[in-house]
Amino acid sequence: MLACSIDTKNYKITGRDSLVFLVDASKEMFIKGEDGEPSNFDMTMQVVRTVYTSKIISSDRDLVALVFYGTEQSKNPRNSFKHVYVYHDLNEPGAKRVQEVDALRGEKGAKLAAETIGSGETSLGDALWCCANLYSDIKLRLSHKRLMIFTCRDEPHGGDSVKDRQARTKASDLKETGVVIDLMHLMKPGGFNISLFFCDIVSPPEDESEMGLQLQPSDKLEDLQKRVRAKELKKRTLARLNLCLGEGINVAVGIYATAVAARKPGSIKLYRETNEPVRSKTRTFHTQTGSLLLPSEIKKAQYYGGKEIVMERDEVDAIKKFDDPGLFLIGFKPMEKLKLLHHIRPAVFLYPEEDEVKGSSCLFSALLKKCSERNVFALCRFISRRNYPPRFVALLPQNEELGEGKVQITPPGFNVIYLPFADDLRTLDPPQFPSASQTQVDKMKEIVSKLRFKYRSEGFENPVIQQHFRNLEALALDMMAPEEIEDLIMPKVDQIDQRLGPLVQEFKDLVYPAYYNPESKPAAKRKTADTGGGAEKKPKVELTEDELKAHVQNGTLAKLTVPVLKDACKQFGVRTTGTKKQELIDALIARLGS
Amino acid sequence: LASAASVVLCMDVGLTMSNSAPGEESSFELAKKVIQKFVQRQVFSETKIELALVLFGTDSTDNPLSQDGQYQNIRVHRHLMIPDCELLIEIENQVQPESQQGDCILSPEHVSLIPCRNLTLQAEGKKYDCLNIALLTDLNTQTNEESLEVIIKNLTQSGITVQFFLPFPVEEDKEGQGDSERRDPGHPGTGKGLSREQKKNKELVKEMMLSLDVEDGLDEIHTFRNAIEELCMFKRVERRPVAWPCQLTIGSSLSIRIIGYKAVTDEKLKKMWITVDAQSHQKDDVKRETVYCLDDDNETEVQKDDIIQGFRYGSDIVPFSKVDQEQMKYKHDGKCFAVLGFTKQSTIRRNQFMGSQIIKIFAARDDEHAGVALSALIRALNELQMVAIVRYAFNRISNPQVGAAFPCIKQDSECLMYIQLPFMEDLRQFTFPSLENKKFTPSDAQLSAVDSLIDSMMLVEEDENGEQRDLFKPHRIPNPAFQRHFQCLHHRAVSPGTPLPPIEPWLKAALDRPEVITERCQDPLDVLKRKFPLTEVEKKKKLKTSAQIFGKESEESEAKKVKEDEAEEYNLADIAEGSVTSVRIRGRAGRLNNPRRWARFCQQLTHRIEQLLSNKNTQYYMKSITCIQAFREQSVKLGNAEHYNSYLQSLKRSIPNRGLEVFWELLVQDGLTLISKDEVEGSSVSKAEANQFLVAEEKKEEAAPAPVEDTGDVDDLVSVQFLFLTFLYFYLNTCLCNCCDSNGVKTISCVSTWGVCDVLSSQI
Repeated sequence: MLACSIDTKNYKITGRDSLVFLVDASKEMFIKGEDGEPSNFDMTMQVVRTVYTSKIISSDRDLVALVFYGTEQSKNPRNSFKHVYVYHDLNEPGAKRVQEVDALRGEKGAKLAAETIGSGETSLGDALWCCANLYSDIKLRLSHKRLMIFTCRDEPHGGDSVKDRQARTKASDLKETGVVIDLMHLMKPGGFNISLFFCDIVSPPEDESEMGLQLQPSDKLEDLQKRVRAKELKKRTLARLNLCLGEGINVAVGIYATAVAARKPGSIKLYRETNEPVRSKTRTFHTQTGSLLLPSEIKKAQYYGGKEIVMERDEVDAIKKFDDPGLFLIGFKPMEKLKLLHHIRPAVFLYPEEDEVKGSSCLFSALLKKCSERNVFALCRFISRRNYPPRFVALLPQNEELGEGKVQITPPGFNVIYLPFADDLRTLDPPQFPSASQTQVDKMKEIVSKLRFKYRSEGFENPVIQQHFRNLEALALDMMAPEEIEDLIMPKVDQIDQRLGPLVQEFKDLVYPAYYNPESKPAAKRKTADTGGGAEKKPKVELTEDELKAHVQNGTLAKLTVPVLKDACKQFGVRTTGTKKQELIDALIARLGS
Repeated sequence: LASAASVVLCMDVGLTMSNSAPGEESSFELAKKVIQKFVQRQVFSETKIELALVLFGTDSTDNPLSQDGQYQNIRVHRHLMIPDCELLIEIENQVQPESQQGDCILSPEHVSLIPCRNLTLQAEGKKYDCLNIALLTDLNTQTNEESLEVIIKNLTQSGITVQFFLPFPVEEDKEGQGDSERRDPGHPGTGKGLSREQKKNKELVKEMMLSLDVEDGLDEIHTFRNAIEELCMFKRVERRPVAWPCQLTIGSSLSIRIIGYKAVTDEKLKKMWITVDAQSHQKDDVKRETVYCLDDDNETEVQKDDIIQGFRYGSDIVPFSKVDQEQMKYKHDGKCFAVLGFTKQSTIRRNQFMGSQIIKIFAARDDEHAGVALSALIRALNELQMVAIVRYAFNRISNPQVGAAFPCIKQDSECLMYIQLPFMEDLRQFTFPSLENKKFTPSDAQLSAVDSLIDSMMLVEEDENGEQRDLFKPHRIPNPAFQRHFQCLHHRAVSPGTPLPPIEPWLKAALDRPEVITERCQDPLDVLKRKFPLTEVEKKKKLKTSAQIFGKESEESEAKKVKEDEAEEYNLADIAEGSVTSVRIRGRAGRLNNPRRWARFCQQLTHRIEQLLSNKNTQYYMKSITCIQAFREQSVKLGNAEHYNSYLQSLKRSIPNRGLEVFWELLVQDGLTLISKDEVEGSSVSKAEANQFLVAEEKKEEAAPAPVEDTGDVDDLVSVQFLFLTFLYFYLNTCLCNCCDSNGVKTISCVSTWGVCDVLSSQI
């Protein structure tokens, strides 16, 4: 969630994200709320844990750190700062770290915290300095540096102006190196007054208009606590190529995948004894001599019409090549010519690449504007990669849409819809039925209206992946059982029934006769139902040698069934190694063919 | 040609068939093409249709009925059987025009009887659902009118259908309308110029077809050209639709029995390429094996049974056995099509369709009540412009999906169309800079240029009658990848050993802009070009040079490298730069210590250099120089100057004879002289000698013969690739193993460890 808001600022991101939690460990943080509400410290640990576990799944290459200030004990790289305790230095989060944060939660956690870190003097300046060192010790390239201060004290130094000044200087030093400092102010009796001190520490809000407007602490926390179990993906082009409108008119475009079926992350093969990862090596060798085969000693073949048709490996590639990668404009069509049926794979997105061909954005923008205005799409021939055969695509204009707070909802560009070829369409023989009467339709309309909801594409989580992540989490963190998942794509039957009430019965009365039960299976169509069970099999088809020979001669062996072929093999004493049909046929031909 | 369970092709190969007007293909050629295309289709679509080929008008006679001088000049080329590549080859090579006079040829009607009887003889015990006889002839034969009735009777009785393929249309006017624009008016053999026999037979054929018990018999008479056009594309991939019975549910108590069919799907070819040995062409000779090893110095091999699965969890890897996974994974109740709710159609974005298929949902067959119930839902959704959001699971094993069911009402059928929608995890919310940027905002003039381009390139237009005409329908075009694939397979099967043919012109044309559009858009495009300046930004070479690839690779596992090498297209230009050579040899440092191996390596390398030098072209010279450079470096490193020095000396001697002066100059420029004692102790060359070596020859200047322009691309490709592979082999497959037996013969078991023995290297 956090990363999203950052992403909108920078379009090209390289390097890793980093996040430092700077947590106040003063006595005030450990005070429990009324009605047994958890202490601020407890809540903070909860948040840290959530962020850790989210990061592990969404972007496990990001770096996180956990630093306490105002502690009794000190622990930092060079032990040059007192009352600063680096619990976790900047590194990729892992199971151990999550468990260590877990240890600080609850009643026991508070005790452990008191024992290991304790509460002592506060110097935010030192703490910030220490954090600056954490950043500078990292040799990796960092894309975002973020520091979050969790505290419930608006005057951490109790009015000590020297310490206040020191902290301000350090904060501005940090901000200069590109670190964004964020404050997560927690509940404090009497309210948290930011203007007392922290307004000078934190980074100014990104948007001018937000100045003066302070988010409620709880909102921010809630945001942080939202678990996102989805892999975050960096924006990358699938390909950069030219959209050719005509001879010499090439617009450079980048192709982006905006919706790709997410899968479970790939598994890693481990050695059973030590749990260390193993490497796999695949080699091709000659079965007879046992020698390794070089690529030049291998060819590719397909079997058709009784003949092995052999090609060189590069010929196999060459067959697929029609042209160089690119988009070639065929023409334009009115939007209604694009049918629902025209779908064979998820769409991709097109955006100009000014860096490749100067002037691309302007022509692209003009094309987008006009297509959108005239409600037409561009039909193009598309070769996405080297040695890929062409596909036809429809370029659908998509205008930029901004939501609240000028956040981009849809980016400007063309959606690329893949169109099917004749081979991709199947001819069906649809069953014919009478249409429903208007009364029946109207009743259904009532039902439909009762079950209306606003569809949001991000509203459904994939239960398979979610379950997998939770399982993994449970195993990694030694949990008793994985967290429960909510299967969002399961119909909420009770709710539906309740909303529909008597409508269902009314509809059923209109369309189904009383005796009809849609749940019951249709009468089984079994031809061999009368012969008692499966005990009696079909009479065996025994082939005579002549018949078989005729089959061999005419090449009609393939018409026989596998059991018949097997019997034939047995009958004529043909030994076969395989059980596949082709193998049986080959064996029979070898025996009887000559 | 109708798809029948069996087809007998009867082709006239007689004398008159080879007649042709100048510049036109003869009837024989056309008829042969028809047969070829037809057989080709059958072979590659692997239908179970049996084919027989009967030639008539042949010089020889070979048929079971040829007794007593009857049925002469008829050759049964092939009895009814499933067509194979052999038949294709035979048609290509053995079906030739033959020279029997027309009057000796029996009437086609007689011929048609032969296969019939033939079949009855042959097909004892076999049952044919459907028999079809296709006759390809120019009708230039003498016929016996009396026999016609007998024939018709015979055909009707045995349920045999007949098709005629003629060089001319039977009905002129009929031919005129159909696709008038496609056909040039001067259609060969139209009506005029027909011989008396042809005219007479034409009427006979007509009579016969009309009297046969077939609907509109004249439709079964085709012209050669028509048939070729229709047959030119390979059959589209056809699959029998498989019904998916299920129940559509809304809540707990409303369900409708439905069946689903895949209506659209990204169709793939049925067959995959199999790997075969280059020599034997046997797939059994090649085996692929994957082994696992620990990431230690010894690369200790691990048995497959000792491998478990793990998943990355942050910086940790969590072991997670398959059994545990199976037990803990998400489970569901199986097959399902349950409505979650309904929503406006407009909220479903076209670009968020997922998956690779569209499923049409109908009411269960023979269940009228379900039909009415589903119809009510479809119509309700259509009237409200809404869709159903459903949970769809194909079966218990497959993962459930969320998707939208759109109403679809056509004249003769109603259905729901199911399309998968994305999960939250699938979406990538990328943001892009706004195009509403002053820098990119097009001017009015620019916009109107785009406007007129769109005008000129509209593919859908209304004709005079107000009817829409679509000039370009991708969904009518067969997948070009399949067409090309079968074209190449056919070519290779029929004429092995020849390079693959170019893409067929009709296919190229089908994939291109319609000609009308190309013409119309010319001017608007010119305007557009002027209005929008487009300049390519100069960039550093983007293609990875091989050196970069290998440089990077050295960090990676060797196994992976092999894979990458295979996958990476060999970039000749890069190899020519020499980066590969040098990197390769450098990479080999330390592995060539064995003098025997070094000697062999030197021999191969010099051989390669010589090959390169046989092309007198600077590019090849540069390659050679690089090789020599690397050769020298390596020699110095190994302290073995003997091979290098002797080669260079012999090279120098041969320079004048071979006209390689230009090359020698390059060598001099790079200072690639002999290796002296100062560099390598064992060298017999002193420093002074080495320096002198390059200078001496300069005096003897001779007019170099003009370089022969012989680029020999293909050879180059082979040799450079070979060079590359040689290095690859040397780099990768040093014999590290001890398992070669005393004769240097490798046992199969030792293939799994790294390294390779002399057997293989001697093969290279």
